[in-house]
Amino acid sequence: MNKELEHQFVTELENNQNIVHKVCTLYTNDRDSHKDLFQEITIQLWKAYPKFRGDSKFSTWMYRVALNTAITLYRKSKRRIQTQDYESVIFKIKADEYDETEEQQLKLMYKAVKQLGDIDKALVFLYLEDKDYSEISETLGITEVNARVKMNRIKNKLRTILNP
Amino acid sequence: MTDELDLLKKDWQKKEEHLPKLSFNEIHTMLWKKSSSVVKWILIISILEIALPQLLYLMPSMREGMNIYKEAGLSPYFLGLSIFYYLGAIYFVYQFYRRYKEISALDNAKNLMRKIIKTRRTVKYYVIFSLSVCFVMFLIFAFFIYFNDEFLLSLEGIAERAKNVSLEKIRTAAMLTMVIGGIIFTVLLGGIYFLLYGLLLKKLKRNYSQLRNLNV
Repeated sequence: MNKELEHQFVTELENNQNIVHKVCTLYTNDRDSHKDLFQEITIQLWKAYPKFRGDSKFSTWMYRVALNTAITLYRKSKRRIQTQDYESVIFKIKADEYDETEEQQLKLMYKAVKQLGDIDKALVFLYLEDKDYSEISETLGITEVNARVKMNRIKNKLRTILNP
Repeated sequence: MTDELDLLKKDWQKKEEHLPKLSFNEIHTMLWKKSSSVVKWILIISILEIALPQLLYLMPSMREGMNIYKEAGLSPYFLGLSIFYYLGAIYFVYQFYRRYKEISALDNAKNLMRKIIKTRRTVKYYVIFSLSVCFVMFLIFAFFIYFNDEFLLSLEGIAERAKNVSLEKIRTAAMLTMVIGGIIFTVLLGGIYFLLYGLLLKKLKRNYSQLRNLNV
């Protein structure tokens, strides 16, 4: 029974691992920390898995646990000094796909997002993942109105970072 | 700006193919790795805080020390304080266990943080309680030293010294040593404790206050 559960869990996580990688990319600055956070999220997901009984989608449930781990439970986020050579794959822009100004703009945007605080990052992350405000508010435990207000403030903050 | 963020959104969703890909086996081995979450650390530190005073009592020299106090008539106070301390400790352990069990990564972010802080607060109250009992103990000793010469002389090395220095001086010095020692001991242990938790929960507290301020 336990083996079956294990297999089922790892398969689900393997199929949905992108979500966890994206959270790790946002919240860590080097490869080792990325792996470290991925591992902690995996442990937390596995610990909570017996309580997950399909009343929501596996992926929906993953967003919550992954963000909770990154924002609250994970302890070692500043263990390492940011290494110069590490630039996570997700922030690399392919030159041939975009015109130059757009590429430049995207680069700046990603950099600006990385500079945000933990909570702001979580909001932006859920927004980028195309979650609606009711899901964002439920994940973070704030009201929908506040989620909207906060998102607008973040947009303004990003605007100031981009156009000083 | 909305356009820019939407541009980012489009790009973000295109990036999936560039993300790292872990194999089934790589993920599977991760299941058995040790967690290093703050909750786990709170649990470890709390168990140490509750267990350490008991371990101290198990040391033979401590037990011998207790015998002296027994002979000097200190034991009713000591017994009373012990009962009070253990009742308190049991209460805190129970509260801690109940709150610890409530912590779940499935909660929303704000609730999760609130529950962790609540659990930690239980430990904080326990530490304050335990250090207070400890300090009271020092005060009882100081009191006995001052008002019970028999007890004072039964302490190691005191009778020897009393031959050269007046008992009055020894009495005051010993009492002050006890009181000051008690203060230093309490403040030092308390300081270590608060520093430890302060560092451990700095990030959590900052994020929690941000979330809480949103709802004002």
